[in-house]
Amino acid sequence: MTALSPSRRRRLAGVTVLAGIVFAGCAKNAPQDTFKPEGPNARTIDDLQRPLFYVAGLVGLIVFAVIAYVLVRFKDRGQEMPQQTHGKTWLEVLLTVIPAVILVGVSIPTVAAIFELDDQSNECVINVTGQQWWWEYDYTGKCGDVEITKPIVTSSELVIPVGTPVLLRITSRDVIHSYWIPALNGKRDAMPGSLRTLRMEADEAGIYVGQCTEFCGLSHARMRQAAVALDMDDFQTWVDNQLEAYTDNAPEPGSLAASGEATFINQCSRCHQINDLLATDGTPVLAEPDLYVVSGAAPNLTNLMTRTAIAGWTFDLLTEECREQLWDAPPAEFGDLYLQGVWMNSAADARKPICFDEATLRDWLRDPAAMKPMFVDPNNLSSTGGRTRGMPNLNLTEDQIDQLIAYLLERN
Amino acid sequence: MTTLELRSGNDPAPATPTQALGIFRRPVATTGWKSWVFTVDHKKIGIMYGAVAMFFFLVGGSEVLLIRLQLSAPDNTVLSADLYNQMFTMHGTTMIFLFVMPMAAAFANYLLPLQIGARDVAFPRMNALGFWLFLFAGIFLNSAWFFGGAPDGGWFMYSPNSSGLFSPTHGVDFWVLGLQIAGIASLVGAINLIVTVINMRAPGMSLMRLPVFTWMQLVTQFLLLFAIPVITVALFLLSFQRNFGAAFFDVDQGADPLLWQHLFWIFGHPEVYIIVLPSFGIVSEVLPTFARKPLFGYKFVVFSGAAIGFLGWGVWAHHMFASGLGPVSVAVFSVSTMLIAIPTGVKIVNWTLTMWGGKLWFSTAMSFAIAMIVLFTIGGLSGVTHAAAPADTQQTDTYHIVAHFHYVIVGGGVMGIFAGFYYWWPKISGKMLNEKLGKWNFWLMFIGINLAFGSMHILGMQGQPRRMVVWPEKLTGDGFFNLGFWNQIATWGAFTIALGVLLFVINVYITAKKPEKAPLDPWDARTLEWLTANPPKEHNFDRIPTVHALDEFFHRKYEEVDTPEGQRLVRVKTAEEIYAEETATPDENMHMPSPSYWPIVLAFSLPIIAYGVIFNRTLCVIGAIILLLAAFGWVLEPSVAGVDEYDPPPPSEGDGDDSPKELASVG
Repeated sequence: MTALSPSRRRRLAGVTVLAGIVFAGCAKNAPQDTFKPEGPNARTIDDLQRPLFYVAGLVGLIVFAVIAYVLVRFKDRGQEMPQQTHGKTWLEVLLTVIPAVILVGVSIPTVAAIFELDDQSNECVINVTGQQWWWEYDYTGKCGDVEITKPIVTSSELVIPVGTPVLLRITSRDVIHSYWIPALNGKRDAMPGSLRTLRMEADEAGIYVGQCTEFCGLSHARMRQAAVALDMDDFQTWVDNQLEAYTDNAPEPGSLAASGEATFINQCSRCHQINDLLATDGTPVLAEPDLYVVSGAAPNLTNLMTRTAIAGWTFDLLTEECREQLWDAPPAEFGDLYLQGVWMNSAADARKPICFDEATLRDWLRDPAAMKPMFVDPNNLSSTGGRTRGMPNLNLTEDQIDQLIAYLLERN
Repeated sequence: MTTLELRSGNDPAPATPTQALGIFRRPVATTGWKSWVFTVDHKKIGIMYGAVAMFFFLVGGSEVLLIRLQLSAPDNTVLSADLYNQMFTMHGTTMIFLFVMPMAAAFANYLLPLQIGARDVAFPRMNALGFWLFLFAGIFLNSAWFFGGAPDGGWFMYSPNSSGLFSPTHGVDFWVLGLQIAGIASLVGAINLIVTVINMRAPGMSLMRLPVFTWMQLVTQFLLLFAIPVITVALFLLSFQRNFGAAFFDVDQGADPLLWQHLFWIFGHPEVYIIVLPSFGIVSEVLPTFARKPLFGYKFVVFSGAAIGFLGWGVWAHHMFASGLGPVSVAVFSVSTMLIAIPTGVKIVNWTLTMWGGKLWFSTAMSFAIAMIVLFTIGGLSGVTHAAAPADTQQTDTYHIVAHFHYVIVGGGVMGIFAGFYYWWPKISGKMLNEKLGKWNFWLMFIGINLAFGSMHILGMQGQPRRMVVWPEKLTGDGFFNLGFWNQIATWGAFTIALGVLLFVINVYITAKKPEKAPLDPWDARTLEWLTANPPKEHNFDRIPTVHALDEFFHRKYEEVDTPEGQRLVRVKTAEEIYAEETATPDENMHMPSPSYWPIVLAFSLPIIAYGVIFNRTLCVIGAIILLLAAFGWVLEPSVAGVDEYDPPPPSEGDGDDSPKELASVG
């Protein structure tokens, strides 16, 4: 920057401020703001995207200024018929070369960013599988400093350690989906029959919202996801929670939750797995969703209450105030709140969690397809051989729902 | 449309008598519905293309108003998820295949023979076949609404979501077979127009004297010729999978869903240029006329159009940047996409420089043309931001992309088409559209487009994805960029556009009612189509004009004269004088095609076969029999109707008719 006159400098500052307002956005922008990177991969994109918008905007302003000038200057005011000039070759060539030079200037950082984003090095691998209309995560091996000794299978909410490059291995069980957490990286399609990879890393603890972005049928709009980044020790706690033995939080015999366990085994366990759950005769209860669901999968509910939303991350388990409290929490406090989940803000000896949005879960259990359109009408399943796409209405009684909620509330 | 008096008074009077072979006679009606249904006149076919395309524009527009109503508030319930998916699929499909493409075909059909100084197209019956195929394809495709539901897989119809397992209604079958039929219409039209432009130009009309509209249409037709076969293959694969148990996209049997994406976009990207190049052509006619200057850099514009035609084949995978193609492919397609911005930029520069130094007359047509440059520039610039693949992985499948391609297709394509409406309406109907209403029409559409699609940039950058029936309230944010506000603006914008289009329809109606005729040369135009009557006679030109220059008509009106103050442009003749010269000595032999029964019959057989594929194979047999009979009829009908067969008989000599005395006809 050499010798700009003060007025030009002022104007430049004005443009920058204006552009800042337009693109930087304020703190309360929509959570999927594509200009708010929260990790190195998204920042690589942002570093390319932002100048690109400035260049495009500048070129646009110049073109429009010229057009506006022409329209005012050469308006028909009764002047003579103009010279019938057919063009000026030097001008044509010049005005072809200028955009070519700009585009070469743009393409170099673009290609550099493409290869930079292809870096696969990582300290954690998580398998991500899409199906109509939710995401499943499958943790294996080591993740950052944390050893994961048994497989963790969860859904909708991807939990990752802060500051750790995580490689997602993405695929699909049915149609094409696309995994997108705008604050952490761009989109990557989930292709049935093959694997795609996407690297993510979060700078700070927090929750980063996303959405399936490849049209995937009836409830595409309600296939959401989030990435939750936790500091390494919180992540360790989360992993320990996930791997806790079932017997440690099995329902007390005779309690409402114990009846819920029986109802769960009767009604839900056909599709939904709860790890280490035993039937009354001591045999393991194994879900067989492939018999009932087209994708052959249903969310694993072993630790349902460690998540904050259900059904493709569409319906909150947290009440609205508690959700907002969690989302707005500063990074230092976030991990603690997240690990408390629905028990956030509750006294240590409370019997019911005050942050639990029971009504929503209750509605869901009553008739899931009424809340989220799914392909479950029993009269309409001939094309799928009787299997559903989504969760059918199980016609549960209110008593059964009470029992199930009591039981599920302990799945944390 | 009947009130428009679109027929000219002069019908060809073929002199060669032919033997009548029973049903194998040429139809001879010169008035009434038969004169339209069996016509092979490129002008009538063009008008029918335009009228039907306009109807589907209103259909597709109504669909999007429902979509915008649904999206005007969070978690809205105007449309169910199922209906919403059908609605956006049909909105895209209708607007692209049943509005923009056939509307471009309407302009091409009507104007190309006139602009090159020909009496008709090379294959008039094929031309009629193309129109009827398009009409029946459109009806067939939309009949899906009444047979259990419209297609619901999006206009891109990605596999495997389009398979019978995931889309069990017949909607996708209707989509596949309807587009297949529409594809035949496009192919037939493309071959016809290419042959016409190459072979039927008037004496002196060298390629580098072709009007730019004809040039851009020629490039478009070549794109169609090569792109349609690709989608045809893709559609065959999909329909064999859905209807005959094939497994081209069955992942369980080892198929790769990327196959469909490649095939679709190898068609789909050239398709973008198929949509906008005709509008480029229209604007390249309108701007010089109203700037009273030749197009700046004619050769650059022509060659950049051709360059777009070539480069358009090398960019398809930029629709697939999120598919995980690997960094090398992505880098290649990223750079090739930026490359195509160069010839596109050339056009914008040339259009602007065409106006530079001119004497600008801001008619409605000119307003639309200028707006087209502005809006298309916005679409082009946002396109460059998507060309950078890493940025595109944030932007793709969000409203930012919706904003981009609507600026290109509506801003670039539809605004050009409306410029064409206002510019050529006096040529086609013989009456001037009302300019005052036209201005209202223009401003409403221009403002509406910016409200609707401008706000979508913000929605997309705020992360609102496309194709979602609802957007949740908790994810709207609450700053200046909150999704709620901008979605409402977008909805208001959509209705503003609709109001503008409504004014156009009213304008057409009022114009048809009013008695005043348009002057012969209302805009002081430059190209050959203005050398003849409004509307042109059935044989277009009494005498095939001889061309001496680019912008032939203008140069017959004006001459550059040396004066003491330098060269001055002086009007030497009026349009009426030139017209009188041209009609004074009509050609002796005019080769005019006779109407035919068979194009509509043949076209009618294809939807029957298509219904048969979906519902009952017996219908396929019936359709095939009709097809076969129509082909026989087509081949066996005489090349020309007898002169005494016309009903009413052609005007006789000496009743004030200035048509040529002797006409020979060919089929």
